[in-house]
Amino acid sequence: MTAPPQTRYLAHRLLTYEATADKASEPVESATLRVYEKLRRSLCALAGVAGFQSLAFRALTQAKSEAPDLWAVEIAADGSLQGLGEIEHQLEEFELQLGSGKQQACERGVILISRLLGLLLVFLGEALTISLLRNAWPGASFDDRNSESGRKA
Amino acid sequence: MSTQGKVTIHQLPTGVPGLDEIVGGGLPEFSFNIIAGAPGSGKTTLAHQFVFANATPERPALYFTVLGESAIKMLRYQQQYAFFDPAKLPDSIRFINLSQVVLDQDLGAVLEEITREVEKANPAVVVVDSFRTMVRKPQSDMDLQSFIQRLALFLASWQATTFLIGEYAEDELRDNPIFTVADGLFWLRQTAERNSIVRKLQIIKLRGQDSVPGLHTFRITEAGVQAFSRTFGLSGHMKNPPSHRRLSFGISELDKMLDGGVREGDSVLVAGSSGTGKSVLATQFIAEGIRQGEPGIVAVFEERPQAYAERATSLGLDLETPQKDGKLEILYLRPLDLSVDETMHSILSAVQKIGAKRLVIDSLAGFEMALSPGFRADFRESLYRMIFALTGIGVTILSTVEVDESFTEFPFSTYSISFLTDDIIRLRYVSIDGQLRKIMVVIKMRGGNHAKDIREYEITSQGVVILGKRLTNYQALISGIPVYSDRSVLKDDSPKDMGTEHKT
Repeated sequence: MTAPPQTRYLAHRLLTYEATADKASEPVESATLRVYEKLRRSLCALAGVAGFQSLAFRALTQAKSEAPDLWAVEIAADGSLQGLGEIEHQLEEFELQLGSGKQQACERGVILISRLLGLLLVFLGEALTISLLRNAWPGASFDDRNSESGRKA
Repeated sequence: MSTQGKVTIHQLPTGVPGLDEIVGGGLPEFSFNIIAGAPGSGKTTLAHQFVFANATPERPALYFTVLGESAIKMLRYQQQYAFFDPAKLPDSIRFINLSQVVLDQDLGAVLEEITREVEKANPAVVVVDSFRTMVRKPQSDMDLQSFIQRLALFLASWQATTFLIGEYAEDELRDNPIFTVADGLFWLRQTAERNSIVRKLQIIKLRGQDSVPGLHTFRITEAGVQAFSRTFGLSGHMKNPPSHRRLSFGISELDKMLDGGVREGDSVLVAGSSGTGKSVLATQFIAEGIRQGEPGIVAVFEERPQAYAERATSLGLDLETPQKDGKLEILYLRPLDLSVDETMHSILSAVQKIGAKRLVIDSLAGFEMALSPGFRADFRESLYRMIFALTGIGVTILSTVEVDESFTEFPFSTYSISFLTDDIIRLRYVSIDGQLRKIMVVIKMRGGNHAKDIREYEITSQGVVILGKRLTNYQALISGIPVYSDRSVLKDDSPKDMGTEHKT
């Protein structure tokens, strides 16, 4: 079962926002990892490390059922994500050989982030989740659904 | 020394309906408060209401969560309350979890973390929920009392009003040095009374202002905590001066028996056994008030408002139109777990809403049954407070009470509440000429001349109708089994000045 379109859309927006932010500076990690890290920092402050870690573990378990090639990804004790960078890199290499772009690697990010956002929507509701995202991404717009980049006008 | 130059302590709204009155107007600004009680007693909800009522983006609230309830679950449940405004997060209200600091380090580190966040945010309100869980960690370099003292000093300097939330049992209240540090100590209790749950709140201490002493009931609804002051929110209310106005029942003969009617602001008790017409008399009293432009409230406990109004219609009294016109409210107070204070709150709200001058409580027995069992023991005391409060603001109260029909006694009421009432009208059955007939007598009327006559009456389609003159041909009428005594040969011996009794 895949994540609902609403959460996939939201995850896609965040990943697009971070990917666009890459262009100004040399990226050291993927958009997925940066989105995840911002969520981790924000949620650890709210719910504590243990609180975030249990949520992230659940999200990863759900994501693995949807994308089995995430099997090697793990959640560390501090809630950080381990192993995703390697998988994304492998997928990108493979897609480069095929000349098909980064769709597969991006899709893994959308799956994982949408699962995490899905849990937040279940537990906190839309208003608090959006409020939390606004705080983590002050420059992003979560109202304008027509904006591709997700940036505030 | 003049009062000029003394510091003014500003009061902050508690955000809890009824609590501002209990704490003496509002919570003192910059005070350091502890909310204590058993799990599930409403501590977190109360703190949230205060936070949502006072936090602004300029002076936000910092809500530190420690061990215990998960912050995400707490927010999940708390947002169900009406006061919870998600838009206030995170600009006005910031939740910060300290669990890891508590687990990995000691109280000194917790204090440092709180200090860092407070310096960064400059908050108006700080909550630590729950500070009690911090002390359960062994081998802490700083003891809890020292932690609390330093935290209190720091937060006062930063001009923050603070709440520490802690789980405490009743027996921990005594000799606890932590409580001496606090400016305010709020104790929440939740006890089971037979099949009902009763919640009570006590302000054990509150520095700098007068709070209403004693235990106040509170309820947690979808709106959050609502407190009901023991003084019904009327502690600072000016008492109305005694009135000399008389209120009519709409029954001219009864008005005459009452020396012109019930004195405005009196508490009247209509006592009688089942079927004697207590409710009919009460309905006529309310209907007459409305006819004379005096809005009224009827609090019913034994039947639904619709049924009450329909019964009035059968007596030719229209209670539907005044309800639509906002001149009458028939309150049906849901039975079984009420407190008197909640009932009073409903009645007072209605009184204030429509400017009621007359109130009928039909009946005291139904009222008592609607109360949670724990409150029934204090029923007399509660009635005293309620009647005193309502008559003090000029409302005239008519209560009905059912008494057991006895043929050897003539009790005024089963509750021994006669002393609470200014006027008592007693209705009863008598056996006369093979018929069960009804008689009425005014037993007591404070501050007025009332008739001593025992009058026969009937309940007709026009309501209570008093028949003829006093029953002179019977002895021992109030026993219920009178003896015929033909006095027709005697002249009517009821001159007006001898037929009344004056009491002050």
